Amino acid sequence: MRSVQGAGAKRWLRLAALVVVVVVMAYPLVWMVSLSLRTPEGVGWRFYRDVWQAGPFDRYFVNSVIVVVVVLAGNIVFCAMAGYAFARYRIPGGSFLFLLVISTIMLPKQIVLVPMYILMQKLHLLNTYWALTLPFLADPFNIFLIRQYLHAIPPDCEEAARLEGAGEFTILFRIVMPMMRPALAVVAIHTCLINWNSFLFPFILTHTTSMRTLPVGVALLSQGAHSIDWGHLMAGAVISAMPVVVAFMIFQRHIISGLTTGMSR
Amino acid sequence: MRSNRNKSGAGRSAVTLFLLPWAVVYGAFFVFPFLFSFALGFLSYNPLNVAGTHWVGAANITRLFHDPDFAQALRNTILFVVGTVPVTTVLALGVALLLRGRIPGKDFFKAGLFLPSILSVVVISLLFKLFYAPGGALNRALGVVGLGGHGWLTDPGTALLAVMAMDVWAAVGYYAVIFYAAFAAIPDELYEAAELEGAGFFATLRHVTLPMLRPTIGFVLVINTIRSFQVFVEVLVMTQGGPLGSTNTLVLHLYETAFRRLDYGYASVIAYTVFVLSGIFSIVVIRRLRPGYATGGGGA
Amino acid sequence: MNRHSRRAIVVVAAVLSVAMALSSPGCGRKDERRTIRFWQFWDIAVIRPMVEQFEAEHRDIRVEVEQLTWKSGLEKIQAALASGTQPDLCELGSTWVPRFSYEGVLEDLTALYEVEADSFLMWDSAIWKGRVYGLPWVQGSRALFYNRDLFRRAGLDADRPPTTWAELLDAASRIDALSPDIYGFGQNLGERYVLYKKFMAFAWGNGGVILDGEGKVRIAEAPTREALEFYLELSKYSLKEKQEVLDHHFKTGKLGMQISGAWNLGNYAIEAPSLDYGVALVPKPAADRGVHASFAGAEMLVVFKGSPVRDDSVELARFLRQYHRAKALSLAAGSVFPASRLALEDTTFTRDPKLRVFVEQALTSYTAPAHPGWIEMEEVINRTVEEVLYGRRAPRWCLESAAEEIEKIASKFEKQPE
Repeated sequence: MRSVQGAGAKRWLRLAALVVVVVVMAYPLVWMVSLSLRTPEGVGWRFYRDVWQAGPFDRYFVNSVIVVVVVLAGNIVFCAMAGYAFARYRIPGGSFLFLLVISTIMLPKQIVLVPMYILMQKLHLLNTYWALTLPFLADPFNIFLIRQYLHAIPPDCEEAARLEGAGEFTILFRIVMPMMRPALAVVAIHTCLINWNSFLFPFILTHTTSMRTLPVGVALLSQGAHSIDWGHLMAGAVISAMPVVVAFMIFQRHIISGLTTGMSR
Repeated sequence: MRSNRNKSGAGRSAVTLFLLPWAVVYGAFFVFPFLFSFALGFLSYNPLNVAGTHWVGAANITRLFHDPDFAQALRNTILFVVGTVPVTTVLALGVALLLRGRIPGKDFFKAGLFLPSILSVVVISLLFKLFYAPGGALNRALGVVGLGGHGWLTDPGTALLAVMAMDVWAAVGYYAVIFYAAFAAIPDELYEAAELEGAGFFATLRHVTLPMLRPTIGFVLVINTIRSFQVFVEVLVMTQGGPLGSTNTLVLHLYETAFRRLDYGYASVIAYTVFVLSGIFSIVVIRRLRPGYATGGGGA
Repeated sequence: MNRHSRRAIVVVAAVLSVAMALSSPGCGRKDERRTIRFWQFWDIAVIRPMVEQFEAEHRDIRVEVEQLTWKSGLEKIQAALASGTQPDLCELGSTWVPRFSYEGVLEDLTALYEVEADSFLMWDSAIWKGRVYGLPWVQGSRALFYNRDLFRRAGLDADRPPTTWAELLDAASRIDALSPDIYGFGQNLGERYVLYKKFMAFAWGNGGVILDGEGKVRIAEAPTREALEFYLELSKYSLKEKQEVLDHHFKTGKLGMQISGAWNLGNYAIEAPSLDYGVALVPKPAADRGVHASFAGAEMLVVFKGSPVRDDSVELARFLRQYHRAKALSLAAGSVFPASRLALEDTTFTRDPKLRVFVEQALTSYTAPAHPGWIEMEEVINRTVEEVLYGRRAPRWCLESAAEEIEKIASKFEKQPE
């Protein structure tokens, strides 16, 4: 029975380690929230009220939601398709094609800023939702993640379905997608995060207040020429972070260890 | 096995359709910017005087070898990549392992770990600037053991290290969640079998977990390396490349070359240096960490 | 294609089209008015009412105003120029105007300058080869902040801030001696873009010149060298840190003096309401010598060349620069003052003892030299100050190599681009 006791002690040790890690991770964030609540009149919501009333923040918020929802939908479907193709099919020139996929994130985006602006201008897409969404519909990160995830899963279920005469799309959407739910959850979290916080391209590619997204709005509000307005900046950061926390809570439920039930079905 | 699937015409058209959305996005929005910025490398180009653009051949490329700032930035960037990527990967894997199995309040821990990833890098960098300051929280904590008062970001000997530490802090939770998701692909039977054979924690780790995680480890290494080669916002906000250039990085150098000195041609060469470096690294890792199910979880 | 894939694609398409329907900009109504596109950096809530008033007074003109961020605004202006979609009227910082003038992308506004020259400060950086390309709008110079409590504790007169280098050094050393966690003076270090602004105050005050009228580099000459040597001497009693850290120490009463801008007045009022501090002119070399020089930055309004609404844009610029509007903007921003000379007599500024110092300081402040290579030269000076303060090299050698580098930069811009 020693082993059982040992296991119990180990679990407590593990728990203690996790608590330490979470404290280290959360400490600066607690600090951030405290900065956002410390107003000249004492602890209060003033900075939050100011931020929300300073500009059309409801509009910024709606814009950000629209962009994230569209890009998220695109990434879930398109990246699942591409990632699946790369993982399971022998494609002529496949490794070159795959390098092409990830090459989009290997070039520093600062150098494509100007040509991207020129392109959007020529396509008459500046200051539209198209400019904020279309280039980001198939994030290489997600394609890569799905490809790698599928590399860890044997293709047995797909083969079985194929023998039963299922079409390729049915196999992907019916068999493979449920199997890679944990990876899709990461795709969803990553996509929400990146696009929700994205600043540079949304700022460069839009001109009017009605097209601004939340990070652009917060930056316009709190980054002065010479000084930082800590209270408002932090309040803006907390407001911007809340929806991502919610998204994380929703999607992380799909990351479950040991998907044996899903596989044997 | 893998090959028989594209022999049928149906398979081939499926592949085409699967890749089509990505190809359209890529073709429409990335081919032009990539070609444009590549061409810049051979031109003298300045957006304030587009009419004066002219061909300079390899002049921008040879400049790389006579630019001490570039040499310093290259050195700092490589140090940054080598110093952060392995540490982040190992820590993330460790944290993900801690989360495996039944743990009370698991969702809480996962969310806590992920918190730093949610914030914009600008905000994190601003906070750490205060954190590292002589009167900041880190020095107050170190002061308890009599070691306070160090300007971590103003000392050329510690500034890069301080930025690296922040990067690891900010990235660990993110990659831990990715590893954690990858555990889901490991069939429980493998662990049950290992347990039956009386394998301990490290044996299980070595013979079951790590081989099954190979593709994900490869993914994390490649993604984090590509990202780290482009480290920029952190240094722009925290140190602006100083003190004495000790935190100057390739992308910061590129940024200043393009947007401050308006020398887009040379900036493009720096950008493609980053591109080539991350490309070489990615190819090596992707080659070395071949599909896991074929080698590790094999039998199934 | 099967049912599932179709469903997935339908979902994506539906979401996309809803989003795009929401995005269609404006409605179809034809607008006969001429349009001025105006890019600027200030809070749009302050600028928009002014612009609306302009529209009300000019029924045939419509103004599209956009706010840029201080951090990424310049990138956007460059991208817009590259694609030929630059705005008509634009705000530019004074350090950037010379390069834009040199590249020939700005409208020549010399005619307006000839009318207005005496009513505004800070023209220098707008002038290139005898022509004027920018109109000063608002400006801000740096002055000496000092902690009155610490002055009293160190046995100094809190009503007599230092006016000379010797007094400054004396005050710094006495305050620095109070306690190990109290510093006499604050010097920027560990960051890049502000170093020269603080140091050059001393060099200019001592008669130092970076480039003279003939384009000769004179940074290695005695006045600048003496200033750098003094700055190094002062560093013994200084906290050498980033601006945020200096501000933090000043707010918490741990820093005797620092040179900074008017934005601190508002910040300190909010973040350290009980702090007892004063503002004074930057000290000059000696009572009988030199000037109370400082760095000043000006925000200029420029019109991009080829604008189809050039005259309307100039008119809008003139409208925005009218004294009461520039003043309203300055008061709302809390970091700048109108570039108009009227500010010098305005009781709103002169009645307040702190604001008055900034207004007065503007008279003896210098903007960055009007050279298209300034942005690169600035980096050389920053590095020079850094190397000296880190004790890597002696001021003399640093300045000599700085002069060489600046000459090299200057020679790149000798030829006018076509």
